[in-house]
Amino acid sequence: MSAADATLKGRVGDPFSSPWRRRLPLLPALVFAIAVTQLPFLVSIYYSFTNLKDRTQSLIPQPTRYVGIDNYRKIFDDPFFRQAMWTSVKMTVLAVVLSLVIGTLFAVLLDRRFLGQGLVRTLLITPFLLMPVVAALIWKQQMFSSLFGILNKVLTFLGLNSVAFISDHPLASIVTVLVWQWTPFMMLIMLAGLQSQPSDIIEAAGVDGATPLGIFRQLTLPHLRRYLELGALLGSIYIVQAFDAIDVMTGGGPGSTNVPYFVYQESIGGGFRYGSASAYAIVVVIFSIVIATFSLRVLSGLLKDDRA
Amino acid sequence: MHEARNGSRRSPARVLVGVLAVGIVAAASLAASAAGRSTDKTISVAIVANPQMQDIASLTPALFTAKTGIKVKYTILDEGKLREITTRDVGSGGKAFDAVMIGMYEAPQFGAAGLLQDLTAQAKGDKSYNYNDLIPAVRGGLSANGKLYASPFYAESSFLMYRKDVMAKNHVTVPARPTWQQVAAIARKINTPSMAGICLRGKPGWGDLGASFTTVLNTFGGTWWSAKPDGTPDKAQVDQPAFRTALDFYAKLVQDAGEKDAANSSFNECLAQYQAGKVAMWYDATVAAGLLEATGSPVKGKNGFALAPVVKTKASGWLWSWALAIPKSSPDPTDAWTYIAWATGPDYIKAAGTKTKGGWAAIPPGTRFSTYKIPQYKQAAGAFAGKTLAAMEAAPIDNPGTTKRPGLPGVQYVGIPQFQDVGNRCTQLFSSVIAGSLKDSTALSQCQQIASQAIT
Repeated sequence: MSAADATLKGRVGDPFSSPWRRRLPLLPALVFAIAVTQLPFLVSIYYSFTNLKDRTQSLIPQPTRYVGIDNYRKIFDDPFFRQAMWTSVKMTVLAVVLSLVIGTLFAVLLDRRFLGQGLVRTLLITPFLLMPVVAALIWKQQMFSSLFGILNKVLTFLGLNSVAFISDHPLASIVTVLVWQWTPFMMLIMLAGLQSQPSDIIEAAGVDGATPLGIFRQLTLPHLRRYLELGALLGSIYIVQAFDAIDVMTGGGPGSTNVPYFVYQESIGGGFRYGSASAYAIVVVIFSIVIATFSLRVLSGLLKDDRA
Repeated sequence: MHEARNGSRRSPARVLVGVLAVGIVAAASLAASAAGRSTDKTISVAIVANPQMQDIASLTPALFTAKTGIKVKYTILDEGKLREITTRDVGSGGKAFDAVMIGMYEAPQFGAAGLLQDLTAQAKGDKSYNYNDLIPAVRGGLSANGKLYASPFYAESSFLMYRKDVMAKNHVTVPARPTWQQVAAIARKINTPSMAGICLRGKPGWGDLGASFTTVLNTFGGTWWSAKPDGTPDKAQVDQPAFRTALDFYAKLVQDAGEKDAANSSFNECLAQYQAGKVAMWYDATVAAGLLEATGSPVKGKNGFALAPVVKTKASGWLWSWALAIPKSSPDPTDAWTYIAWATGPDYIKAAGTKTKGGWAAIPPGTRFSTYKIPQYKQAAGAFAGKTLAAMEAAPIDNPGTTKRPGLPGVQYVGIPQFQDVGNRCTQLFSSVIAGSLKDSTALSQCQQIASQAIT
């Protein structure tokens, strides 16, 4: 369609004008997207103001009542929810920071040319391609298990006492699996950052007599900064939702229940209190939006700085 | 540009051919399915992924569909998922399943809440089903107010299994009806760094640690809740001395003489440790005996069995059954009953013995007296069949502890809907106590709070 066409037919506000004609085919998709994402959310908001329970959860079925903000008031009195929040924070921060650090190290190593680089890169990415449940099972049965675990076999071989990893260090065990899975993701982001770094500056610094460590600290790290931010942001968004590893490895055992697992237990995981579970979920959504907005602002600010 | 035009001119013919082809296939399949509907019927059944249930799924076409013309579409799920899906489907009156497999915890509760069909009349009226052959404790556990709501496919109690050779080496004899103090003393005596004294469940979950621990709690005279005269829960009793004694006893025993990695161990983990010779005793489900004595088991023939240990009660073994029930919303209850009567009837058990891979020792145990009269089964399961039947009959389903329990009958659980959640969350805390990362007083006061909130 040419520009002349558009000016001929295009009057502002005319639904048959060309911009509208171009948008019209998107309308079903938009309606569908709203129906499958926003309606359930609105229904959840409604449920969060009721005492809705599963019908199997009372011997004499009770009618669902409107309970006002009772569910929300209870959230802030509930020490178990606060504990789950704290666990979520610890789990996410540890996993994101560790996978970022290790991912950056791997990226720096992979950034140079060597024999078998392609193979090594593929092997390093593999953990990220695994289903989270499978990753958790592998670690639970083959690595951490006190009976069949490789780690304990090695410890016994070295003459050390075997360690019940999952029982004694549940949070650390889960964080290990998360780091193992997310390091490749961070590595890929960092690798993209490293490869976008202009090589002439580094060569110039080398000519000026800068040490490799100096180059990394003074030039590479500042250049990687927004990639680090991006990795941290995306990593946090995904890792805060961790569920599989907890369900498979500890069942929420010794202090490893995070917020998603808590909400699961409150709803279909045994509690069947859909009303209060909805309230928990909505509080989580509000927190997530706040954190995401904040992080995005930081990120876009950085991008602007960079351009200026 | 030219090429594209040519392409678009050619395409209507192609589209027409495509539409015709799809239409013919669709019409044919519609006709086929219509024809299929009119001659034979299909029912939909959800079952749990245990070896015995997988056997019945593979035997159904030959033994059931061939005779009755009813096809059975199975949905096989692990325990947790099955519970989630059946609870939602039954609770919301969904029509996904004609028959569902539920546990002894759910059956009377769902039945009393009016979500399941009463099977009593059909079960009593069907001669080949033989209602009186069912072991009374199991039948009672699946009933509410005298009505049978689910038909047992498989049932188990709990007992103590031990290595006879290890006991002989240590000059110890395990009494046939031991007390927990005796068992604890033996466990501590025979405990070595390479072989733990006893394996007890420590993994969070109302059906994992919750089951083992609640039988111990019962016999120590404790309870989760006290009951009002009308059977509703009165007050949470987690802060009472008996509860603390039971938890301390359990946690201390596991710490002193229990398996490694206890907070991560349940049935399967203990089974693996026992078979690998890493534990000398194991308190768990009676069904484990069949696995320990199965052909190829490294500990076959080395095992002794004793009734569940007690303290203040006469018996403490738990009672569990997987049973088939018909939801009120079932689209085809008549065919569903025909299926249930076959799957849980005495004839299937006999047929399974000759037709399944595992042979006689692997048939669904614990539901009927007639099973324990089959000569081949007595021979294959001689080491544990008698002890299993004794444990099943002794299971104190109606009076598990020293005080009245709220809700419907239950031994290793409390027969109220709130128990599932309270059990899950409290056993997370208890699991931390066993692992030594939480003080018992903290766990008990937090659990008391959970248990109190749940019943308000």
